[in-house]
Amino acid sequence: MAQNAVIFRPATIALILFFVATVAFFCVSAPRFATAANMENLLSGYSFVAILAMGQAFPILVRGIDLSIGAVVGFVGMVVFDLTLIFHVPGYMILPLALLVGTLAGVVNGALIVFLKLQPFIATLATLAAYRGLTYSISGRQLRPDLTTTAITDPWIVGIETYFDIGSWLGISKLLPMPWLPLSFVIMLALFAVLQTLVMTTRFGRDLYTVGGNYEAARLAGINAARVIICAYAIAGFCAAVTALIMVARFTTSTEALGTGMELTAIAAAVIGGMSLAGGIGSPFGPAVGAFLLGAVLLGLTLLGVGQFVQQIITGAILLAAVGYDRMLVLRRQRRLTANPADAV
Amino acid sequence: MAGMPIIRGVGLTKIYGNLVALTDANFAVMPGEVRALIGSNGAGKSTLVKILTGAVAPTLGTVEIAGEAAPLGNPRETIRRGVACIYQHSNLAPAMSVLDNIFLGRQPTRWLGLIDRRRQRREAVALLDRHGIDLDLDATVGSLPAVKQKEVEIMKALALDARAILMDEPTGWLAASEVAKLHATIRMLRARGVGIVYISHVLNEIFSVCDTITIMRDGKIIAESAVADIDRPRVVHLMVGEKLARESAQASHQKRHPRGTGEARLRAHNLTKRGVFKDVSFDLYAGEIFCITGLIGSKRTELVRTLFGSDRFDGGTLEVEGQPATFRSPVGAIARGIGFVPEDRHREGLMLNMSVTENLAMAMLGRFRRGFLLSRGRMVDAGRRAISILSIQPPDGKRPVALLSGGNQQKVLVGKWLNRAPRILILDEPTVGIDVGAKAEIYAILRRERELGAAMLVVSSDLEEVMTLADRIGVMVAGRLAAIHDADTTQMDEIVREIGGVAA
Amino acid sequence: MSLGSTTTLTDVSRRLAPHALPITLLAIVIAFAVAQPAFLTPDNLIGIVRQVALIGIMATCTTFVIMTGGVDLSVGPVLALAGLVSFYCLQADLPLAIVVLAGLSVGLLVGLANGAVIAFLQLPPIIVTLASLSMVRGSALIVGGPEQHLIRDEPAYTFIGAGNLFGVPSPVYLFALVALVMIFIQRSTPLGLLVTAIGDNERAADLSGHRTRVTKTMVYAISGLGAALAGIIQSSQVHTALATYGPFGTELDVIAAVVLGGTSIMGGNGSVARTLLGVFFLGVLNNGMNILDVPIDIQLIAKGVIIVVALAMAARGT
Repeated sequence: MAQNAVIFRPATIALILFFVATVAFFCVSAPRFATAANMENLLSGYSFVAILAMGQAFPILVRGIDLSIGAVVGFVGMVVFDLTLIFHVPGYMILPLALLVGTLAGVVNGALIVFLKLQPFIATLATLAAYRGLTYSISGRQLRPDLTTTAITDPWIVGIETYFDIGSWLGISKLLPMPWLPLSFVIMLALFAVLQTLVMTTRFGRDLYTVGGNYEAARLAGINAARVIICAYAIAGFCAAVTALIMVARFTTSTEALGTGMELTAIAAAVIGGMSLAGGIGSPFGPAVGAFLLGAVLLGLTLLGVGQFVQQIITGAILLAAVGYDRMLVLRRQRRLTANPADAV
Repeated sequence: MAGMPIIRGVGLTKIYGNLVALTDANFAVMPGEVRALIGSNGAGKSTLVKILTGAVAPTLGTVEIAGEAAPLGNPRETIRRGVACIYQHSNLAPAMSVLDNIFLGRQPTRWLGLIDRRRQRREAVALLDRHGIDLDLDATVGSLPAVKQKEVEIMKALALDARAILMDEPTGWLAASEVAKLHATIRMLRARGVGIVYISHVLNEIFSVCDTITIMRDGKIIAESAVADIDRPRVVHLMVGEKLARESAQASHQKRHPRGTGEARLRAHNLTKRGVFKDVSFDLYAGEIFCITGLIGSKRTELVRTLFGSDRFDGGTLEVEGQPATFRSPVGAIARGIGFVPEDRHREGLMLNMSVTENLAMAMLGRFRRGFLLSRGRMVDAGRRAISILSIQPPDGKRPVALLSGGNQQKVLVGKWLNRAPRILILDEPTVGIDVGAKAEIYAILRRERELGAAMLVVSSDLEEVMTLADRIGVMVAGRLAAIHDADTTQMDEIVREIGGVAA
Repeated sequence: MSLGSTTTLTDVSRRLAPHALPITLLAIVIAFAVAQPAFLTPDNLIGIVRQVALIGIMATCTTFVIMTGGVDLSVGPVLALAGLVSFYCLQADLPLAIVVLAGLSVGLLVGLANGAVIAFLQLPPIIVTLASLSMVRGSALIVGGPEQHLIRDEPAYTFIGAGNLFGVPSPVYLFALVALVMIFIQRSTPLGLLVTAIGDNERAADLSGHRTRVTKTMVYAISGLGAALAGIIQSSQVHTALATYGPFGTELDVIAAVVLGGTSIMGGNGSVARTLLGVFFLGVLNNGMNILDVPIDIQLIAKGVIIVVALAMAARGT
């Protein structure tokens, strides 16, 4: 079993325990936390954050970072807006187009990093500006101001914002009020299953870890490191596109500012989820849990009456604690890996 | 053994910036031939191997594999065509399992890229059986001792079922019994028609398992011969070159100063670091050069790091000029008059993009302080003096150090510490990767420091260097200081035997 | 030892690379001047400097951080908090000197905290300053709430940001002062040399006996000070203190200016003077595009493309 196996890593177990403890804490101390309505808020409010965080996991795995995924979300959102409201393209064609656009944006990022040899921080900083600019360029809201108040009604798009009354289906709702399951949560689960399988059981997955852990060793072993890196950023772009679709469906419109700042949230969720910025460690599981952990904390604090501003401080503190804990693990790991107790000394 | 070479390099030249690593090398290995590649550090062996395996692309020249031209600088292609390499520095993924590492990048897959774990394991087990190697396939590579990690590297190369295998210092960490096992494997591969390149500086191994030998010096191939037609002294002579061979012959008649002036500057008593080295005891005197030699992996660097405070030892005592010393960082050691020239001048010694003057001043900025300010004028003056004393070429203090030749870079690095007139100077592999001329200059510099009364500790794997330079010689084997000799009463053979771990 | 044959084009571009930015800057200035003569009027030129003064001060002070291979993402909220603290000191009728000191100490304290955690606990700068971005922003909102605080009847304080001496606005003087001080520090103090050394090879600096962790802490303190000064100037300029000043994107603009100037994000190569070049480059670009009525989307795209091109060329030069 590979040593980066997610369920068995001590850091991941700690994460799960911490998540459970946090939820338990808030269930007990915050009124209305343990209600169906609140659970629904958590699921619907943070599923797309989890998707974005999972996307961010891939560039981080290969020792990079993607600062532009917020801008990609905005860009894809505007593409969807234009296609449906201006060009009246049917929804079942818009969905794949949106995914394609997001993926391509990611490929551009990867290409800049691999072929122009730019540092990921800088390359994605530049594309952040470029994609945000492109969003303004193609903005249907500028071209047709009358559309700013028109809601998107295409069933394929709006249908993403659906809720399933699983309580009734399963017949549980007589015993226990169940939250209605948002489709975005189901999408997240499906995406998680695919990405996790990809990472854990395919050769591409192994290559991701090799490239992230030791680029030179990967190259010398004959791995096409360039292709691996571009694919990692493409996946991030793909996840950004999915996020955009969910958000557009929810708001039934899109703005030029969609997604602003979300890349930092995604990074925070990923780090809280145990990803190491040095690469080679972690899997999509951590960032997904990290996103919901953040969500649980923020919702719980709100229900406890803690002001939004204090929440910001607490979010920062959690991030710091997570990265400090990760550092401790790194030190312990280093000590284990380099000491050779079996040496004849 | 006649026919077409399995791998061939023609006219290979490699230039890094203004460093010529390899000049017009023609090299070929036949199927079923074990060819040794030998030369001192910096002779160009690793560069040649890296070009042949595609790790780097040559500046000039071509590579042929089984008669077909091979794409340059493309490790994937070279591997695909059946050329495997065991590099000197580990290319394993330490966080992954042994099984994963053996098939790194080439895991057998089913549809959709899913790894066929069962087949992978079956093949690995069969491979281990065939070669009689014992490895735990599920262990994390990083947690294995160096010996086992080397075996994983060997398995990784063998798993490729290659037609040619290049090995760069494959026995660095291995004990005698493991070396024998490796040689048995090599003989088996040879019988199967695999061509092997064996880089090593251990003459005994070369004469034991190799058929032919290629000797390199200063980036050029200077001789080739069947092993049966040549003897050890001639090999050393060719490796080291006329000038240095003569000098070292002369030097061996030079007056040695074991224990120098008799004043003990440093006393180490039973120094121990768990899992690294144990019970190391020695004294270092003013006015002598004490060389510690041994194989790669004997933990000499780890030892001297603790003397300088960049690492800590767990047990034993250290005394510097009569006072006990527990250094928590280099700052403390430097304050007590110790200087340290690290092994890797690029990674740990020099600021490559800064100027010669700035690098020379780096260890003594305090002396150029005027209040809160830095007196660049004084820095430049001090730099000019050092450049002239050390004959640094070109004599331009403003030049970025990256543009200097390896030898001159090393002079800057040594000069940085000489500027401080240290009481104790520790040098780790001071002449690695620099040309013969610069080596001689550095030796002269070190001898002059010795005359001025410094106590010098030199870690070196280069036996010629040790025999030339040392007043006393220490031999470290697997973390223990096995013996200390006075240089004027010792023969090189004795040292060679001790290094190999053969009990005297 | 030249090999004769190969690409003179690569050689040319390699030799031009360090001068690429000044040359491009000159080219752009000429292009804009030709397209719109109003560009070259002293009023407009001074206006450019005034516009970039805030980012310029922050970029100058953050240069050392980037030279040591780190980043400071917290400059935006520090700017806001410093403005707020100054406002409350003004409310309390404290003398101007105390007001300014209080504002600056906000930046100093946050910077020291950032630096200490990064240098001594060895946590990654991106995450640490991201966390402090969040914490400082939250603190600012708690201290000042989301509403605007008007600064009225404070002529001395207002002069800092909105004053005018011989026709030149005071932020320009302050920017010049900060730039000169930072250049002086880099050229003539041990700190300046150490920052370059740490960025070039931190391990070697350690082994040369330098207290690298202390130096690293100090560079973050300087960055914080710069952000605080910018906060004081801004609140003085617009007569308002607001907890949401320095919004998301400020820190990225600051980093872009430094990187464009030629300082590598990996650390080492870099100088305050080059950052100034990067700042003016962006300022000229923004101003020229505005004068020419270039729509904002094209401006953003252009900025992104230019950063990519400039850095790709710089990468080729090394």
